[in-house]
Amino acid sequence: MHGITSSRTVWYRRLSIGLALAVFFFALALPFALAVLWSLVDPAHPWAYPAVLPPVLSLRRWLEVWTTSALPQALYNSYMLAACVSIATLLLASSAAYALGRMEFVGKSIIHLLTLVPLIIPNFISAIFFSALLIELDVYSRFLGVLIGHTVSLLPYAIRLMTVSFAMVRQDLIDAARDLGASPLTVFRTAYLPVIKPGLLAALIIVFILSIEEFAISYIVGAPDFITVPTILYSYLGYNFIRPNAAAVSLILVVPNVVLMLIAERLLRSADPAIVTGKG
Amino acid sequence: MTNNQTLKAYLLLLPGLLPIIAFMSLVVGMAVSQSIGFFNFSGADQFSIQSWREILSQDQFWRAFLYSARTATLSAILSVLLAYPIALWLRRPFPGSDLISAMIKAPILVHGLVAAFLFVNFISFQGFLNVALVNLGFTASPMRMQNDTYAIGVVILQVWKNMPFAFLIIVGSVRAIGDDILDAARGLGAGWLARLRRIILPLTLRSLQAALVLIFIVAAGDYSFQAVAGPTSVNSLAQFMVRTQADNGANGWNEAAVVAVMLMGLSLFGSLIVAGLTQLAVRRMRR
Repeated sequence: MHGITSSRTVWYRRLSIGLALAVFFFALALPFALAVLWSLVDPAHPWAYPAVLPPVLSLRRWLEVWTTSALPQALYNSYMLAACVSIATLLLASSAAYALGRMEFVGKSIIHLLTLVPLIIPNFISAIFFSALLIELDVYSRFLGVLIGHTVSLLPYAIRLMTVSFAMVRQDLIDAARDLGASPLTVFRTAYLPVIKPGLLAALIIVFILSIEEFAISYIVGAPDFITVPTILYSYLGYNFIRPNAAAVSLILVVPNVVLMLIAERLLRSADPAIVTGKG
Repeated sequence: MTNNQTLKAYLLLLPGLLPIIAFMSLVVGMAVSQSIGFFNFSGADQFSIQSWREILSQDQFWRAFLYSARTATLSAILSVLLAYPIALWLRRPFPGSDLISAMIKAPILVHGLVAAFLFVNFISFQGFLNVALVNLGFTASPMRMQNDTYAIGVVILQVWKNMPFAFLIIVGSVRAIGDDILDAARGLGAGWLARLRRIILPLTLRSLQAALVLIFIVAAGDYSFQAVAGPTSVNSLAQFMVRTQADNGANGWNEAAVVAVMLMGLSLFGSLIVAGLTQLAVRRMRR
């Protein structure tokens, strides 16, 4: 009887996994495969109904997008901005994360909630009225505006990730280093850094990715001079829907970010104090 | 905990917390002030409810408001309804469960605009779905599915993008339910439905509400999905706000501010109502 039940469970699981794989294929793998195909459609041989597959594949569309659009500038802007935002965010978040992760004080839970406020205000409200504020303050630098907007709206992520890392540092290790006469710098280097490093790098990468992906502030505050990859993609999806170009830009936006996110996830998984300190 | 330590903690919090509080209060303050005539870019700064009168008398605004409320409610409920059974299924690890978890979380890595493009590309007149339907003999000619009037496409996109968040929030609380409680209930003769209604749902209520609130807020403030895949006859509130600001010259700021305040109100009260109704439903089921 038990044998029948367990074999039924195994079949049921296999069936469920098969179903999940089928859903994944139709919901993600196939749409991405189609985007790759569309980005490879040769401009001289359009892919039109009822053709099931594109008649000719080539890299000419990629070259065309690269040479005739503002994509190189948008890529430079996006990556330059993201680097500045991640450094600024980390600098601002570190001490707050230390306080939240390692200290007890009155109102800690309320402050935890306050750090999450940027996440509950709709992005386009922040973007429009931040741009109104910049006009009121006579600040006309698009880069500065987008930099401030991204930094503040991504601070919650950095604070949260680094708070968890700081909370994982073992007090006995800090005490041991202090008892042995280590200076504050040495205590930081030996007790804190090995534990917080993965979380710190993950926060850096996640903020970097989120800044590249941010659309509302870049679109409203950055317009019309400061173009980023999502704003270029939006222009291809609007009234002049250029499908092959949109496919190429979509892949440029997604693929590097997925690779970076996988690295971040690996770093976060390795952020176990038992691994870093060798203690269980 | 000494006063000194508390003061030190507050000083350490300043660099991270101050920009957030300053930015958000200034942004929200700016929206509220502009909606009542202050920081006026087109005339004198004085208290006025003219913009409120102007916006609240527009049919287009109310259509946008109801549209955003409807899509947000539907998206939040459908995402949680889909995520909940999956979270229960993956409560205990089994061979292949990690792979399934990874596949469920994958849409988080896809940018909203890219998701909208992939969807539109899939269902468009000469997209894969139409080609497949025609070639399999289900339809004689391609159907027009893009930018559908009922916003089914927008809701599908919202669920596709937000269901992984609901899953992540719910799966933690489902996993935290001890086996001993469920075994005890089983021992006392409770079937799976009774265990779900009287133990699992009440114990996971907080995470259910958190998922509903989060998705409701995200979906109510949606711009990208609506602009790319939504119906062309109606705007979402965020889209209506951007349009109002851009199309109405200097007055546009004050009128857009009214829409912003209404959108914040919808996000706050709408999500609280959805969360409250869920609590009520779970309590009723428990009886």
